[in-house]
Amino acid sequence: MLRLLTPFIVAALLCLPAMAGAEAWTELTPMQQEALAPLSKDWDTLFKKQQQHFLKMADHYPTLTPVKKERFHKGLVAWSKLTPEQRRRAREKYQAFSKVPSEQREQVKQMVREQEASKAASSVPPVMPAH
Amino acid sequence: MNNNLNTESIRQLLNHSSAQLGQPTLARLCDARTQALARYDARSTTPVFAWAGSTSTSSGHTTGSHRSQYYWAAAVLFVALLFSGATYWQHVIEHDNSDVDIAILTDDLPIDVYVE
Repeated sequence: MLRLLTPFIVAALLCLPAMAGAEAWTELTPMQQEALAPLSKDWDTLFKKQQQHFLKMADHYPTLTPVKKERFHKGLVAWSKLTPEQRRRAREKYQAFSKVPSEQREQVKQMVREQEASKAASSVPPVMPAH
Repeated sequence: MNNNLNTESIRQLLNHSSAQLGQPTLARLCDARTQALARYDARSTTPVFAWAGSTSTSSGHTTGSHRSQYYWAAAVLFVALLFSGATYWQHVIEHDNSDVDIAILTDDLPIDVYVE
């Protein structure tokens, strides 16, 4: 009987790392909490694998400039809500864009900034004239 | 104790031809041989699962239910190995991507540009 159960026991042991519980927000270090602050509300709902990935990213946080830290915080929630496939495509696009010559890259960036600005302007409701 | 069986008489007994044995004895010997061969065949056809437990019943034959249990056990082990390997591989991939993810998030372009 024990010999028959052996494969099941081995299988359960093999699956242990994947089934291990996620890390609670309160167990993170102050530095990790600061880096991942925008995720504090949703942290406990994330899978362990996702948490580990964000913790790896948080390791880089202290080396960032204040501007980059702000950008990091700004995009973190949106990034956490993407599907793995969307993230994979975004990485591919970013890596492809990084290989474009810097002049062309700047032109594209300028174009994107203008589009963003016009989009923001059109979303502002027109001010009604006072009677 | 009566010690009538001396060396000479034992030699004579061993030299008896099988033709001299009685019919019931021959039949029992034949049955025993057939059973032994069947047991040997059953053992040699399931060497992969021999480690998981005995494959023979009291009559010496492997039953269908026992065999299906071993197939299930092997299948569970195989799936667990696949699952474990996939989890590990995904973990490695995610680990390797953290640098790129940081670069995307801290880039001066919003992430919407890279996300469809």
